[in-house]
Amino acid sequence: MKHASLKEAKELKDQTRIDFKMVTFTLAGKDYGIDIMKVKEISKASKFTFVPNAAPFVRGVYNLRGDIISVIDMRIFFNLPAEETESNTENMIILRLDSHIIAVIVDSIDKVVGISSENIQPPHPLFGDINIKYISGVVENDGRLYVILDVERILGDEDQVESRASETVPQALSGPASSQIMESTVAGTTSAVREDVDIGFIEETLITFLSFYSSPVNHEWIRNRFNSWKKQRGEDVQLASEQDAEAYLAPFASPFSGTYWNSDYAMKVASFLPSDHVGNYYVWNPGCKSGYESYSLACLIKKKMPDVHLRIIAHDNDLIRISTAPGLVVNQTSPGDLYDDYLVEGNRGKQFKKEIKDSILFEYHDITHDNTLPKLDLVVMRDTVSYIAPEKQQLIFNTLEEVLKPGGVLLLGTHEQPVNPGAWEKIENSGVVAYKKK
Amino acid sequence: MRVEYINPFVEAAYNIIKEVLQTDVERKDLYLKKTTQPVMGVAALVGLAGDVEGRVLIDMSQETAMKIASTMNGEELTSMDELVKATITELANMITAQAVTKLFDLGFKFDLTPPSIITGENMSVSNADVEALIVPLEMPQGLVEINVAIRERM
Repeated sequence: MKHASLKEAKELKDQTRIDFKMVTFTLAGKDYGIDIMKVKEISKASKFTFVPNAAPFVRGVYNLRGDIISVIDMRIFFNLPAEETESNTENMIILRLDSHIIAVIVDSIDKVVGISSENIQPPHPLFGDINIKYISGVVENDGRLYVILDVERILGDEDQVESRASETVPQALSGPASSQIMESTVAGTTSAVREDVDIGFIEETLITFLSFYSSPVNHEWIRNRFNSWKKQRGEDVQLASEQDAEAYLAPFASPFSGTYWNSDYAMKVASFLPSDHVGNYYVWNPGCKSGYESYSLACLIKKKMPDVHLRIIAHDNDLIRISTAPGLVVNQTSPGDLYDDYLVEGNRGKQFKKEIKDSILFEYHDITHDNTLPKLDLVVMRDTVSYIAPEKQQLIFNTLEEVLKPGGVLLLGTHEQPVNPGAWEKIENSGVVAYKKK
Repeated sequence: MRVEYINPFVEAAYNIIKEVLQTDVERKDLYLKKTTQPVMGVAALVGLAGDVEGRVLIDMSQETAMKIASTMNGEELTSMDELVKATITELANMITAQAVTKLFDLGFKFDLTPPSIITGENMSVSNADVEALIVPLEMPQGLVEINVAIRERM
């Protein structure tokens, strides 16, 4: 083993610095690696003391020179077929995690490979077999591709791993306590694990194909949607293509996305707005796309508060779409009686009156950059934050808290909710939900 | 940045460069950049005021600047001398002026400041709270970026 790593070190010495060593092993014929700093030792054993009512992937406990440690079978944990061995002895890697020692069973243990951590590539969301959350990277060495497992995440103490991972790793795995009796039945636990893994995989795929991010803004919907998706698709729940991803997200869209709001929906939204407002009324409409939403808003606000000085700031970072917004025309059929007062005949079909057009400022702007805004009365941001990376979502909600006037109204997508619920009062009118700033 | 402003700047830059260099210009995708951006080496700066506040920066490497100045003057220029600087300044002036004229026709009133030119290595430019629209134009002489950062007066 030592010899192999030295030889490889020599080969790579010219181009790279070796600063990461991993113990490599196989599971179902594929190569995996674990950071050597986490590995205490390697051992073979056959007799494990069975623990009744433990999860199926817990093979039992083992006496390692006086220390009792739990033994996890990686193949069962990851739903991989187990290799039949002639003898009953199993290959174990004994891991020293931050909080405890645990043993994992693998098919066969290969060698120690030294690599440069620069060469570790982030995992691709389309990896099969093992959920992406458990992979810290992929590296090629000597013509073989190794998947590096993040054992701290798989088997570590749940307090030390981030909350999303700990939700997915069942409680029974948190330490030597894993061998204790579990509350739920064995079968129940595995299917829950399976479902969490499937949802996690779908979440990653949605980011890849449609840059849709699962976050507290839309978590509830993602979970509910998974159940209906499973009914629709049966066993084949994974999203294999962009079309699949679009189909999965189709019910996410809020009513009247990409078209004018009908009068009924517009009036429900209008019911959240004050009727006695005077002076300037400032509205922010990030993610306005081609502008349908902004014009609908302009008309409904003018209807409700004819005398206010209305200013709608409409932003989008899709140049092609927003370029068409200032000159948007209406088809021959009026989108609803709400709009009739605000349309004039133009040479290319019906157009909005100047007072409506002048009330909207369309800007090509990326809202994850700095937002310079006046104090706002209303923010309409439907199905927009869900397409922004979670770490930036927080910044946007901070901006909202800062710039929205007290009593100001926030309208999110139908399936979205604010990440800072403490700052908002939920208001509802026959199915349409908005949030009032406290 | 207001949508109506984008096209005048893109068209003006494209037309002027194509005309003065008598060459093919390839327009690349526009994009937005956040506050601090690196500057390639030669930057001609024109300030804007009026309905908006902000500036236009015409940015290129020293090598590109010398090649463009050589083409425009019809002689080979190999150092960053006064002639090269004056030529690039004039180019910036022409582009911004044409854009402002187009904008005036659309009903927006802008005033502009005389251009100034900045040269050096490892420079960057920051504008508090305004993101910049970058219009990259590729031509045989090299890459020129029109960097527009303006915002409405609220």
